[in-house]
Amino acid sequence: MFSEILKFELKYRFKRPATYAYFGVLFFFAYVLAIWASIGGSEKTNINSPDTIMQALSLISVFGIMLASAIMGVPVFRDIEHKTNGYFFSYPITEKGYLLGRFVGSFITLIFTMCGAMLGYLFGTIAAHYFGFGDNGERYGAFGLSYFLWPMLIVVIPNLFLAGSLFFSLVALTKRIFVAYSGGILLLIGYLISSSLMEDLDNKKIANLFDPFGLTAIGNITKYWTPVERNVRLMPLEGDFLLNRLLWLAVGFLPLLYLLFRFDFQKFLVVPSGKKTETKKTPFSFPKSLSELSISPPVFSTNIYLKQMLGLARLEFKNVVKDPFFIAILLAAALFMFMDCRYNGMLYGTNSLPATQYMIEAKDGTFYFIVIILIVFCTGEVVHRDRAVNYHFIADALPVPNWLIYGSKFLSMIGVMLFVPLVGILCGIAFQISQLYFKFELPLYFQGYSVATVQWLYLVMLTFFVHILVNNKMLGHVVNVGLWVVIYGLRGFTEINYRTLFFNSVPTNTYSALNGFGNLTPTLWYLLCWGGLALVFLTLGNLFWGRGTDDSPKARWALAKQRFSPTSKLLLSLFTFVWLGSAGYIYYNQSILNKYRNPEQSRELAVAYEKNYRKYYRRPQPKITSMKINVDLFLKERRVESSGVMTITNKTTSPIDSLHLEISSGFSHFLLKTLTINGLTPKQIFADDDNRYYIYKLPQTLQPGDSATMAIATTAQLKGFRNGGEETFVIADNGTFFNAGDIFPTFGYNPQNEMTSEKYRKKYKLPIREFTAPARTDAIGLQTFLFNDDADWITFEGTVSTDQDQTAVMPGYLQKQWTANGRKYFSYKQTEQMDLFFSIASARYEVHREKIKNADGKDIAVEIFHHPDHKTNVQHFVDGLKDGLSYCSANFSPYQYKQMRIMEFPRYATYAQSFPNTIMYSENFGFLADFSDPNKTDYAYYVTAHEVAHQWWGHQVMPSFTRGGNNISETMAEYSSLMTLSHKYGPDAMQDRLKYALDQYLGGRGGESKGEQTMMDNEDGAYIWYGKGSLTFYALQDMIGEKNLNNALKDYAKATSYRQKAPYTTTDEWYKYVAQNTPDSLKYFVEDCMKKIVLYENQIKKAEAKKLSGDQYQVTLTLDSRKLYYDKKGNEIGKGKAADLIEVGIFAEEGKNRSGMKQKMPLYLKKLWLKPGQQTLTVTVKGKPIKAGIDPYNKLIDRVSDDNLIQIDGI
Amino acid sequence: MPKTKTSMNLTIQNLSKTYSNGVQALKDVSLTINQGMYGLLGPNGAGKSSLMRTIATLQEADGGNIWLGNVDVLTNKADVRKQLGYLPQEFGVYPRVTAETMLDHIASLKGISVGRERKEVVKTLLEKVNLHQVRNKNLGTFSGGMKQRFGIAQALIGNPKLIIVDEPTAGLDPAERNRFHNLLSEIGENTIVILSTHIVEDVTNLCSDMAIICLGEVVAKGDPNQLVAALSGKVYKKSILKTELDRYRADYQVISSSLKMGKTQIRIVSDEIPADFEATTPDLEDVYFSEITTRQGLAV
Repeated sequence: MFSEILKFELKYRFKRPATYAYFGVLFFFAYVLAIWASIGGSEKTNINSPDTIMQALSLISVFGIMLASAIMGVPVFRDIEHKTNGYFFSYPITEKGYLLGRFVGSFITLIFTMCGAMLGYLFGTIAAHYFGFGDNGERYGAFGLSYFLWPMLIVVIPNLFLAGSLFFSLVALTKRIFVAYSGGILLLIGYLISSSLMEDLDNKKIANLFDPFGLTAIGNITKYWTPVERNVRLMPLEGDFLLNRLLWLAVGFLPLLYLLFRFDFQKFLVVPSGKKTETKKTPFSFPKSLSELSISPPVFSTNIYLKQMLGLARLEFKNVVKDPFFIAILLAAALFMFMDCRYNGMLYGTNSLPATQYMIEAKDGTFYFIVIILIVFCTGEVVHRDRAVNYHFIADALPVPNWLIYGSKFLSMIGVMLFVPLVGILCGIAFQISQLYFKFELPLYFQGYSVATVQWLYLVMLTFFVHILVNNKMLGHVVNVGLWVVIYGLRGFTEINYRTLFFNSVPTNTYSALNGFGNLTPTLWYLLCWGGLALVFLTLGNLFWGRGTDDSPKARWALAKQRFSPTSKLLLSLFTFVWLGSAGYIYYNQSILNKYRNPEQSRELAVAYEKNYRKYYRRPQPKITSMKINVDLFLKERRVESSGVMTITNKTTSPIDSLHLEISSGFSHFLLKTLTINGLTPKQIFADDDNRYYIYKLPQTLQPGDSATMAIATTAQLKGFRNGGEETFVIADNGTFFNAGDIFPTFGYNPQNEMTSEKYRKKYKLPIREFTAPARTDAIGLQTFLFNDDADWITFEGTVSTDQDQTAVMPGYLQKQWTANGRKYFSYKQTEQMDLFFSIASARYEVHREKIKNADGKDIAVEIFHHPDHKTNVQHFVDGLKDGLSYCSANFSPYQYKQMRIMEFPRYATYAQSFPNTIMYSENFGFLADFSDPNKTDYAYYVTAHEVAHQWWGHQVMPSFTRGGNNISETMAEYSSLMTLSHKYGPDAMQDRLKYALDQYLGGRGGESKGEQTMMDNEDGAYIWYGKGSLTFYALQDMIGEKNLNNALKDYAKATSYRQKAPYTTTDEWYKYVAQNTPDSLKYFVEDCMKKIVLYENQIKKAEAKKLSGDQYQVTLTLDSRKLYYDKKGNEIGKGKAADLIEVGIFAEEGKNRSGMKQKMPLYLKKLWLKPGQQTLTVTVKGKPIKAGIDPYNKLIDRVSDDNLIQIDGI
Repeated sequence: MPKTKTSMNLTIQNLSKTYSNGVQALKDVSLTINQGMYGLLGPNGAGKSSLMRTIATLQEADGGNIWLGNVDVLTNKADVRKQLGYLPQEFGVYPRVTAETMLDHIASLKGISVGRERKEVVKTLLEKVNLHQVRNKNLGTFSGGMKQRFGIAQALIGNPKLIIVDEPTAGLDPAERNRFHNLLSEIGENTIVILSTHIVEDVTNLCSDMAIICLGEVVAKGDPNQLVAALSGKVYKKSILKTELDRYRADYQVISSSLKMGKTQIRIVSDEIPADFEATTPDLEDVYFSEITTRQGLAV
């Protein structure tokens, strides 16, 4: 009987067009994904690699949940919907046979549709490779059938089973289809929660298990895989991933089992009866005859209609918000809001303060997503409410106009959409209260929710329209979600990015305490534009609103024509005009006033740049030796007027007859007003306005060694708005921050502007270059500064003017400030030499000033320019400055300036950057962090120490423009800051920090697109110079002694600081000094770190302790150690054979340091020479040992860092 | 009766409708329905409900016209709805709303704007359909018959000038059916009441005018008595063996066969006096069967 029911189910399903439609949609989606999307992270991973296929199919399986609810929810519901349950259950079938037959049949159907995704992806990769569709054709490796089947087996099918079982059982138990959707949302929430958990590395294990789809565990396990490994390795079914699969498979069985034992035909048939209500006995009176009733003639007027509409809307609103599933989903959304509030703004595992801006932004995560789901389903319920219960046979014949019913339904949804944001806001406030944070900024809350709320309303209008057109609730849900997926999928996965093509896409600026919501003009125009279109939908919806029983397209069309009254016509034209009119204005701004380039055109521009001008690379150009500038900021007009007088010198050995100027300004409108050389205007002999490349003939050839005076005046400006939203960044009402290159042209061809992606270089037939920078023996490279080829050391002075209430800052010391013409002027002069690398900032700042005594006894004036409300963490920045300055001054060389400043800039980006005696610091990077927990990284302190160290490494010691140069400045700065930290907290509390560095390195090399370089050659792998650099230097100082290493670095700084003449320093020179104080026995380590790619596989297998007399314990450790060498691609190329110096430790219970931070309490900690392989070690310690490990602090690079330390047995 | 200004009739002219699946539900239907009770007889699937839904503004027609007085029903739906009371053949209710609340809501939508009046109307109607005792119960708990009575009540709200009741007595027990008939007879004379049914007896009892519809066509219309009179002297009956039925069908126009005390009794229509048959007085049922058997080719 099971098989009969199964057969029938399959026959039924495979006759339904929907089955094939789902199959087709998934096929198409996966096909497109394979051809155009860049999944897989690195360009070196193939699109048909097991890892990429796994990612693609897993991703689709999450979307497939939606499908699972459509397919698995209906089989039992079908019998309710079509009322077949009345007799079907009287047949000689058993509950279990019925349920299992339906379940298995539907599940097979579901798997069949998901096979569409698998095949689609397969054909997509073939089309990409063999037919050259898209840009991914080159990324193709050997075909493996198992690459496709394995992810289906271990990820897709288990996920579908979980979802399917849940949906099937929920519907069978509750008899409500809506429940299936709630179930789907719960699963998604589980997934999203686990993604949030991953913000904090400590939660890895929980997150691995918590994610119902297993994606988090997959991500964590494959995170450190290199492209080579990703191309061949199948996901191993082990560890956390195996646990996760088993756990959720078991969870999947639960509802099904429960259902099998609980389901009962009789109970299923019971009609839910309402609460028993006492009916008051009324004395029976013989009813009046109908004609005797005195009734005033019926009144039908617009006024009454409006009243009725409001009444109906109220009723409908109650219907929606009282729905237990609405409440359940909203509750889930609220819970999630709480999670997001907690994790929003988290950096390095440290929470932010619960400032209102973070509460507002928390809604943009899952909450936003759930609201969209709510909109789709609630609108479907509202639109189809009458039909769902067949009440429309009565209701539709009642004497009320269409717009009354339609309007009431729409109004009720508006009510819901005003209610939902309110819930969000209340969640935010509740979270703030829970954190004992009582600064509620209600206006900010309302502002922060306003755009999203309007967007939700627009989405309601679209959803309404679609539901009305589709006229079938289930199909309407699918079409709506499908539409949404298409809109967002197109934006996310293709290169189409012109905003006016994507309904409801509205540009907004990140909120900044400094600059508020920034320039709202584009936001408002877009809202107007989509408002017009949404109202068009609303008007059309009224025309097609289903009334009556005739659903044939012909009849609906005829009805719509009847309803197309002059009022409708008028409204429709008006709304169309608003929509297209504002779209036109937006187009004018984005494409006429400004230049729009799609990604393809941008790439072509870069290609043209290289093809046309590469020939000018290394053409001799003068260098600037002094600069005196005037900069006037006109903030309201978003305009900067700059002029400068510069001394330029021909430092080359050939005469220079022409000047190559390139504009790389972030301002889209840039005008070079005047340019004179020694008072004469040079002739422009070439101009390319697209690449902004210009050539001028010098009035007089500049002979080697000759100097001239160059005077220049420019206007840099923003006009209108652009398709992207980046304008606010360079100039803002409050919080302007730009660099020299934004207001002045640069000299000559810059190879760093070339396209780096190898995929596209191949496509455009550009040569593949492993390196941008020249070799370390290259004469020109050695004569050039790493960060700027327009100047070596310069002298600098300048004046900047800004709005009267703002402070503007440039490098150097403030000489004078005055007010004139209602503007404020500041004049600065740098008395020491500096590199040509400066920024200009202006805002309404409050300044914290402090004098600190440096290690060398000199006073240094410290200034923190910050937003008046951002006082909380100022001391952390000051401490970072103080300790960083002291450490570097004491260990490397004297500090070159008398002053050190930190300037806050709006949080449009999260970074800090070191300029001469100034650090630009994002508002988001510590000003609002919560550093109260000593165990959380104090990144304000840590990052400040890093940026301070750049005053040495990068501003004193200037690397040459040769391979690896940036490692000197970044690795040394990161090392200095790590050491500052180590001195503050003690080495036993450093492990967390080291683990972040390790994670950064290992994660980075997994996504490497070109090939991993060593520290000697690495050009742009931040994961190498920060992660690997800091970790290995930390390990090195630990091995040879901090003093020894720092003395070597002191010698290096002495030799290279402010080096006046080329050759400027290279990694070879750096290496020489670093190795200088290293004993021969450890030279191998320096070489491993800097010249090779080495990974350890250290593991402790067993640790047993035996109590001896007193508090003596004998501990026996079984250790395993291996060292592996890799090539650039990530292939293993060798094993270490000799012994390595590796730390072994035995620890007591964890303790706390002075600042209350967790720290290890070593009973035994020693570096031992360990041969590769397994070995046993016996140690006697004093005190009760709890844990033991090999390289227990994770100082060495080790892919599995968690197995270095274990609990000791036998205690 | 001479037409006065207040008198109004419903004129259906050449109404046709074909569904998108190809079924032609109405073929060139023309009827004039005056005030009073009008019966619409026809077998299942004859097109009765299609016709009624079209009159009730719920369905479009492919061709033809419907006039309610001087209101074009097909294009001026709003005006029709103001005068309409409609009981659909099948309908649903909101399960978690009480009968009283729902009727009050519908009354307000039907333009009874004074709350007190609405209350009165609702109370009266609930009493009339014998639902007053359960007025505070949720509609979801109603039995089939109770739901049907609720349907009747809602159709009668607001003194409609045009009442369309589609299979109103389906699912009612005999007592409730009588009650309903009484209620219908209370409705004022200057109201058009269209009663669709396949129970011939209902039409006989209530209607002074009627039409028979079969396969979308009007096959007979007029005063039921006159229709019956037309068959006078042409209907004969006879008791036969069940096995003989086919032979009789071949020889005569058998309009009905029924079992009576274990024997099969057949009725035929014949212009001549057939041998061995007993003459009998025709009734409306004979009219109905004689019309539909010739068309559907079915023996009932």
